[in-house]
Amino acid sequence: MPLYAMLLPTIAYFLIFTYYPLAHAVVISMQQFNLIGHRPFVGMRNFLAVLADPNFWSSFRNTLVLGTGILVIGFVAPILIALSLNEVMQGWLKRSLQMIIYLPHLFSWVVVGGLWIQLLAPDGGLVNAVLWALGIPPVQFMSDPQLARWVIILVSVWKDMGFNCIIYLAAIVGINPALYESARVDGAHRWHEIIYITIPSLARTMQVVALLSIMGLLRLFDQIYVMRNAVIEPQVNVLMTYVYDQGFQQMNIGQATASALLILTVTLFLTLFTRRLIRYDTV
Amino acid sequence: MMKKALHRRVLTVVSASVTAAALLSQAGLASAAGASASEPTLSIAEGVIGGKNPQENTAFANAIGQALHCKVQLINTSTGNYDQKMMAMLAAGQKIDVVYTEGSTLAELAKAGEVTNLQGMIQKSKVLGNPKVVPQWEWDNIKLSSPNGKGIYAVPVKYQGALMAIVREDWMKQLKLSPPTTLSQFYHVFEVFKQKKGAYGLTLASLYDIEPFMSAVGVKNGYVQQGGKLVIPYATSAAVPVYAWLHKLYVNGLLDPNFVTNSTADERNLFLSSRVGMFVYWDAWVPMLNNLAATQGAGASFDAQALPPALGPNGKGLVSKGDTSVFAIPSNAPNKALAFKFLEWWNTKPGEILGSLGVKGIDYTVKNGTYLLTTAGMTENLDHGDPEPISSYWKNPFPRMQKGYANARAVGVKYGYQPLINANWNNAQQIIWQYADEAILGRLSPSAAVAKMHAELLRQHYIG
Repeated sequence: MPLYAMLLPTIAYFLIFTYYPLAHAVVISMQQFNLIGHRPFVGMRNFLAVLADPNFWSSFRNTLVLGTGILVIGFVAPILIALSLNEVMQGWLKRSLQMIIYLPHLFSWVVVGGLWIQLLAPDGGLVNAVLWALGIPPVQFMSDPQLARWVIILVSVWKDMGFNCIIYLAAIVGINPALYESARVDGAHRWHEIIYITIPSLARTMQVVALLSIMGLLRLFDQIYVMRNAVIEPQVNVLMTYVYDQGFQQMNIGQATASALLILTVTLFLTLFTRRLIRYDTV
Repeated sequence: MMKKALHRRVLTVVSASVTAAALLSQAGLASAAGASASEPTLSIAEGVIGGKNPQENTAFANAIGQALHCKVQLINTSTGNYDQKMMAMLAAGQKIDVVYTEGSTLAELAKAGEVTNLQGMIQKSKVLGNPKVVPQWEWDNIKLSSPNGKGIYAVPVKYQGALMAIVREDWMKQLKLSPPTTLSQFYHVFEVFKQKKGAYGLTLASLYDIEPFMSAVGVKNGYVQQGGKLVIPYATSAAVPVYAWLHKLYVNGLLDPNFVTNSTADERNLFLSSRVGMFVYWDAWVPMLNNLAATQGAGASFDAQALPPALGPNGKGLVSKGDTSVFAIPSNAPNKALAFKFLEWWNTKPGEILGSLGVKGIDYTVKNGTYLLTTAGMTENLDHGDPEPISSYWKNPFPRMQKGYANARAVGVKYGYQPLINANWNNAQQIIWQYADEAILGRLSPSAAVAKMHAELLRQHYIG
C-alpha cells in the first residue's frame, strides 16, 4: 500500500494541472466569459459560433494540409535517413552525422523559425544568395502564398526528423544479426536485407512513430506563430493559432475555449482510430 | 523498519514537491522587504516598468514601498505576452490593485466593467487633475477607450509619443538633400541614398508604419467614424496612390525587399548598420538610436533625426500616436485608495525619476545635487517604464543623451493624432496588411488590393 502512495504526487500533478483545467475549460466553453465578475451560462452558443466562423474552417483546412504534409514527409524522411546512416561504416562519421541531424530538434521554434526566415530572406538570405549565384532571381519564399506551405512543411520535417531518426536507428540496432547472416547464406544482397529484414523489423517502431505524429497533427502552433506573416497567414493559420487569436487577440475566451475543446475531441477520435487501426501494442 | 523508511521517503517526496511548488509560485514576483506587517500590500501587474533583472525589480518595488509606506508586490511579466498573462491572472481570480495595459485592451476591460472609472478621483486630485501634469489631450485619448466615450478608466504611464519617419540626417546634409514634404521628394531622397550610399532608401516591418506617407493623401490609420459608420481609410480608394508609390519603391530597389518578414528590431539594426537610410519608428527612439550608434561602433557622424510626414493637398500632415500605455485599477482591487495614491505618485517627480532613471544607488547617484548614471544606468538608457514622463514640469537631467528628441517630440505634437481602434482592429489590420503587402510586392494591383481588403473586412463584419 505505501508503494502506491508514491503515485500520489503524479496523480496530484495530473489532477491539478491537466484534469481540473480540462473540466474548468468545459465550463468556460459554455459561458459568456468575463475576466472579473458574473459569467452567465450561454449553453452551446460558443460552439455554434465557432462552427459558423469561416476562419475556423479555413484554419481547419490549413491544419489538414500542413499536418498531412508533415505527417507523410516527416514519416518517410527519417526512415530513409536512418537506413542511409546505417550504411555508413565509419563510426565517427555516423555519430557526427547523427548529431548534426539531431541538433535542430534541440532548438526552440523561435530559434529555428528565425533562422529559416533569415536563410530564406530575399536580401541577405543564404538560399537566395546561392540562387543569385546560379543566375536565378531572388524568390520571396516567406511571402509567397504558393510556397509558404511547402516552407512550413519542409522546415518542420527538417527540425524533427533527427528525433525520429534516432528512434529508428535504435530499433535497427536491436534487429537480430542472425537474420542478416542467414539471409547472406541464402545469397541475399544488401538491398534485399534492407527490403526483407530491416524495414519489416521496423514495423512496430513505425506504428509508434505514426501514432505519436498523428496525435500532434492538430496541435501545430509554435512554428506557425513564429513563421507566419500578414501575406501568408490565410494559407498557414492553423486551428491552434485560431484558438490563440480568438482568446488573446479578440479576448473572446468562451469561443476560444470552445474551439480548443473541439480540437481536443477531434484529436481524441483521431488517436483512438489510429490506435485501433495499427494496434501497435498487440502481437 | 522498511515501512518507516518508505514513509520517510514518501514524506520527503511530498514535502519536496510542496517546497518546489511554493518556490515556483514566487517566480516573477518582487516584493518590498523590510515593510512592517501592519502595512497594506499594493500589488502591481506590469510589463514595462521596473528593473532589468529580479534584483533590480526588488529594489524598484522597495522604492515604491518606501515612498507610499506600504508593501509592494511587483508582478513582472516583461518576458512577453503580457496581456495574456494579465488576463489569465484576472480570470483566475487573482486580486491585483494596479494593472498596466494599453488602450485597445483597456477598451475591452472597461466595456466589461472590469476596471474602475477614475474620472471623479482624477478631477479631485491635485496631481492628476493638474493639466500641466497630464494635459487634456491625453485624457481625451484615454477616453477613446471608455464605453461610449464616457468616464476615464486609466492614468497614463508615460508620454506615448508618435511614429514618424527617422532619417540619417548626416547623409541628408552630406548629399545636400532638403527635407522631403511630398511623396516624389521622398522618392528622390531614397534614390540618392541608393546611388550614393548603396543603401535601401526605406525599410518597413510589413505595413508598420506607413502613416507618414499615407499623410500625403490625408488618410488616417485605424478606424474613422463616417456618417455613423466605422470606416477603415487604409481600405478605401483614397489609399491607392500610396500603395502604388510603395510598389514603385519596391520594384526600383528602394524599399528593403525583406519588409514582409522584418521585425522592428530588424529595422533598427538595418538603420544602425547603414543598410537603410530611413524607417518609421517612435520619437523616443531618435535619441536612443543616436546613443546606441555612439556606443556600438556606428560611424562618428551618425545622426538620426525625425522628419515631418509628407504633407497632404491641404498642407497638413499626419503621424499616428501610439496606443496609450496606461495603469488601470481592476474593479475587484482590494486597495483602491492605495492604488490611486500610486498612480498620483507615479506622476510626481520622485515617481518620474524612478520610472526614467531607475533606483538610486543602482542606476544613478546624486553628487552635490547633480545626477550621475552608474554603469547599469547607462546600459538601461533612462528607461524603467517611463523614459519620457508626460508632465510639463519634467526636465531630463541628462540633456546630452537626448540628441534629436526635442525635434522628434515636436513632430509628434504638431502632426500626431490618436488612431481610433477597437477589439476588432488586430484582425482587421491583418487583412489590410495582407492585401497591401501583396500590392507592394506587385501580386495585386493597388486598386484590386483595396477592393479585396474592403470586401473581406465587410464579410467579417469589421466595417459597417
